[in-house]
Amino acid sequence: MKKNRLLINPTVELALKSQPKTYWFTILIVLFMIYLIVISFEGSGINEYRLAQFAKSFGYMLKGFMNPDWEYFFGTGDIWEFKDSIVLAAIVTIAIAFIGTALSLILAIPMGFISARNITGKATSKTGDVILVFIRTFPEIVLALVLLRVFGYNALTGVITIAIHSVGMLGKLFAESIENIDKGVLEALDAVGANWLQKIRYGVLPQVLPDFISISLYRFDINLRSSTVLGYILSIGLGLKLAFASNGPDWNKVASVMISIIVLISIIDYISGKIRTKLV
Amino acid sequence: MPRSFTLPNGKIVTKPKNNAWIYTTIFIVLFALFWLFIDFRARDIQLNQFDDILKQMFSPYSAGGIQETWKDYFGYTSKLVEPLIDTMKMSFAGTIIGTVAAFPFSVLASVNIVKNPWIYQPFKFFSNLIRTIPLMVVALIAVLFVGTGILSGIMAITFFSFSIMIKMLYEVIETVDMGPNEALEACGANKVTSFRFAVFPQVVTTYIGYIVYIFEINIRASAILGYVGAGGIGSILKDNVLYRYDRVGLIIIVLVVLFSIIQIFTNLIKSKLV
Repeated sequence: MKKNRLLINPTVELALKSQPKTYWFTILIVLFMIYLIVISFEGSGINEYRLAQFAKSFGYMLKGFMNPDWEYFFGTGDIWEFKDSIVLAAIVTIAIAFIGTALSLILAIPMGFISARNITGKATSKTGDVILVFIRTFPEIVLALVLLRVFGYNALTGVITIAIHSVGMLGKLFAESIENIDKGVLEALDAVGANWLQKIRYGVLPQVLPDFISISLYRFDINLRSSTVLGYILSIGLGLKLAFASNGPDWNKVASVMISIIVLISIIDYISGKIRTKLV
Repeated sequence: MPRSFTLPNGKIVTKPKNNAWIYTTIFIVLFALFWLFIDFRARDIQLNQFDDILKQMFSPYSAGGIQETWKDYFGYTSKLVEPLIDTMKMSFAGTIIGTVAAFPFSVLASVNIVKNPWIYQPFKFFSNLIRTIPLMVVALIAVLFVGTGILSGIMAITFFSFSIMIKMLYEVIETVDMGPNEALEACGANKVTSFRFAVFPQVVTTYIGYIVYIFEINIRASAILGYVGAGGIGSILKDNVLYRYDRVGLIIIVLVVLFSIIQIFTNLIKSKLV
């Protein structure tokens, strides 16, 4: 039957037959991938006991989500005061991300101008690029671990870690945005006799400012996530609450911290997304 | 300064309204408010430590009468090979399992394929919710679930890759050209066949590109997952931090080299794909 249908139109059959047989190659790649995954699981200590433990913990976690510790969340009731609450920890976490991002702009904007090829020369921009790549590859958590010897276990260490680490990405994206500006405006300003400062203020700034704000907001979203993680290392904010809850573990508290993380980051993502779509 | 000018040819030009000062004020107020929550004591800050730590990190260990050589410093690399392989294993298995598992979910979350808001809206909402959880937090929960080791690392990376892939992929699926799909359905193909031959070929290249991109993110992130107990080189980092800064320095050097190599490889694959 199938053969007959193909024979109705011999040119289609010929075209099908002349196609290269690539599926053997695909099957080989898939098999190789499966083999690599099996190798990866070797030595991971996967066994029935652990899987059973996983299922049991998952059940506890779901139960915790059904019944989060709201008194701990808002710092009400007899045991908890507001200064112990998750809400305050969430505010500290936002504060670290916000101030860290704001401070990183002080370094990132000059770095962006230095690494932009059309503002400085080729050699200078290349040097700037290399510095930015190094900052980007330096793991954020290692930076925090080094800085905590200098600044101690407090929010300031988090702020400075974020401020330094963000420069890598912000500087690169700023430079790209500066490289894309319309040169015509600068020439026009030259023609009317504007000086160097006026050229930046009226020629460059209006073109790059929406981009800069949008990039900074994007980085703020990322930094909010990392400030949660840094909190775990530096014993501040939501990270501390998570470390505290996972001691035991107290699933109701774990659930309430997770809810606060999800809600906080969702809200900030939503707001910054709205602002960014408005800017473009 | 006047708000409008009259040009010699009689045209009136008005200056555009400038709201910059409102936004600047909001920014400054927010900055000041948030600054109140940053607590630290000035006497805890020891700036002179900074020089000291950098010196300790990038020179052989010397303390308590023990003086190691540069050979000892770089000799520690041999102890890092196994954790590094663990890190690679974790990221590889997690990335592939997570991104492949995300595919059906992305299809169910795309408007143009499903068309029924009662199905795609819940999937979109779900993907937006789980996308917010940072990888380290997932890893911490995974450690609570199955204990320390690579298994929790694989689980965390699987979940993380899964969560970020869904959104990236359904946005691609929603922008495909639906013409071929309609043509196939007009020929009498069922939904699965038309998806396989009309939509899938349009997204597969981007999909593989995203898998490579997520693998790159995961390798960078998983290097430090061990800090919460999820295996890999992070666990060595946690063991040595605060008292063997020379080893921390060596780990940083190794990581920067590894990340650079991965970057070169992924750029190669990406340029091949396009």
